[in-house]
Amino acid sequence: MAGNISGNAYALTILSPIKNAYTADEIAYADLIRDRLQGWNFEHNSPMAKVPNTYLCRFFVLDDVYTESQPTGGGLDTVRDLSPFVTDAMRRAAVPAEDHLQSRYLVFSCNFHGGPKGDLDAYLRGMWQAISDRIKEIWSYCYGFEQVNDADSFIAYMKKCQLTASLFFNGSNDEALAEQLKALYLKQEFAKFVIDNQGLDAAAIKVNMQAFMQRVAPNNLTAPTWSAGKYRL
Amino acid sequence: MSNIAGKAYAMNVITPIRWYTAWLNKFYFWFALKVPSTLKGLMTLSLIHYARWVIIGRDQFPHLDPKQPKEKLKYSYMMFFSNFNGSWDQYVDSFTFAIPGGLDLFWKWNIRYPKSVPLTPFHNYIRYNQIETIHYYNAYPLAASNDVKSAKAVKDALIAFQKHDLDASDADFMKRYNALVRGLQHDLGDMHPTPIISMSAYQVQRRQRWHDGSLKKEIEAQALIDAGTSGDQHGR
Repeated sequence: MAGNISGNAYALTILSPIKNAYTADEIAYADLIRDRLQGWNFEHNSPMAKVPNTYLCRFFVLDDVYTESQPTGGGLDTVRDLSPFVTDAMRRAAVPAEDHLQSRYLVFSCNFHGGPKGDLDAYLRGMWQAISDRIKEIWSYCYGFEQVNDADSFIAYMKKCQLTASLFFNGSNDEALAEQLKALYLKQEFAKFVIDNQGLDAAAIKVNMQAFMQRVAPNNLTAPTWSAGKYRL
Repeated sequence: MSNIAGKAYAMNVITPIRWYTAWLNKFYFWFALKVPSTLKGLMTLSLIHYARWVIIGRDQFPHLDPKQPKEKLKYSYMMFFSNFNGSWDQYVDSFTFAIPGGLDLFWKWNIRYPKSVPLTPFHNYIRYNQIETIHYYNAYPLAASNDVKSAKAVKDALIAFQKHDLDASDADFMKRYNALVRGLQHDLGDMHPTPIISMSAYQVQRRQRWHDGSLKKEIEAQALIDAGTSGDQHGR
């Protein structure tokens, strides 16, 4: 699945068909999924913040495909007005056809750090280990998910739902997430440091810089750093 | 619904392609991968974190169970997913201005694709075919794509600075420090939360305000301001 890899980043595209069924309260399974995902928006942070190496990801329900058409009015209309040889069937055939899906799909589109070989298995295993309960909350209404009961079966299931990207554009730096978060922390702290020390004499800046380096520990990825999904300073 | 997660916006667009011309789009993408210089224009759009195009054949929608009805589609479909910074209009317009020809190639012969220029029909096309995200997660909502890239430069420079032997004098240190700051002048800058960092963050704060009673007071204060009107507070 080379198309899914760009540098160290991996583009995971999942379309999971949702069962065309209803709860006892007559709520469609697709709507239940939608409601639960909406519920995730009300939590302090996304459950996906716990999944290692997730850069960005999204969920939505694909109810149907779209047919963008116009009330005809094309060139064939004019020709037909003038010529009996252009039949109504010919005129209609030139208009985009209406298309509909037979199932609704849960779409999960994710960008994660997979390394140069794109280690999808490791990512999905990490996802299962971190949030298996939350995964079940969403995916248990999809066809085929009843066979998922551990990390291995989850990986196998997701691969059946996976689509390959024709083109994946990586416009970011694709280091491991811990590296990126540490870097963002350092950028924020060093910007403050430079402002605070502007105009001080060399001796003072030297002392402050030594203390700064000790405090921010540039090589220590675990602390101090930003947490994944941090949205307040 | 949450198309926004901090500074990132999630765009999803699905467009039909005639199944017998989809190979052409696949060829253009394959060519872009093989000749990376064709993506130069895209690279100038530094507001993009990640973007992808996925072509689904009309018989390639995942089928996992005999009970699942088989799709009977007339068209194949192209899905476009993007993670970018800034507003919808800024993004769509910058695409049009930076790579109009590239857009026309990528969306070549998609049904009703109006071409990327002029802007208004292109806007309408994207709006018509865009799907809203329900839940969007961003590992660094405070940072733009350029912040993520420049942060790496800062980290690398600080680690290199730290590795250096102790300076013999304050003047030597200052020389090195000034070089460090000068070298990073394009990479430094404060990051701050956007007014609504995410729909979830908004809801979290609203709930906290409700718990501590301040939301009720706010609503009462607003009701006083709105005195004389019907004062519908549901939107707060």
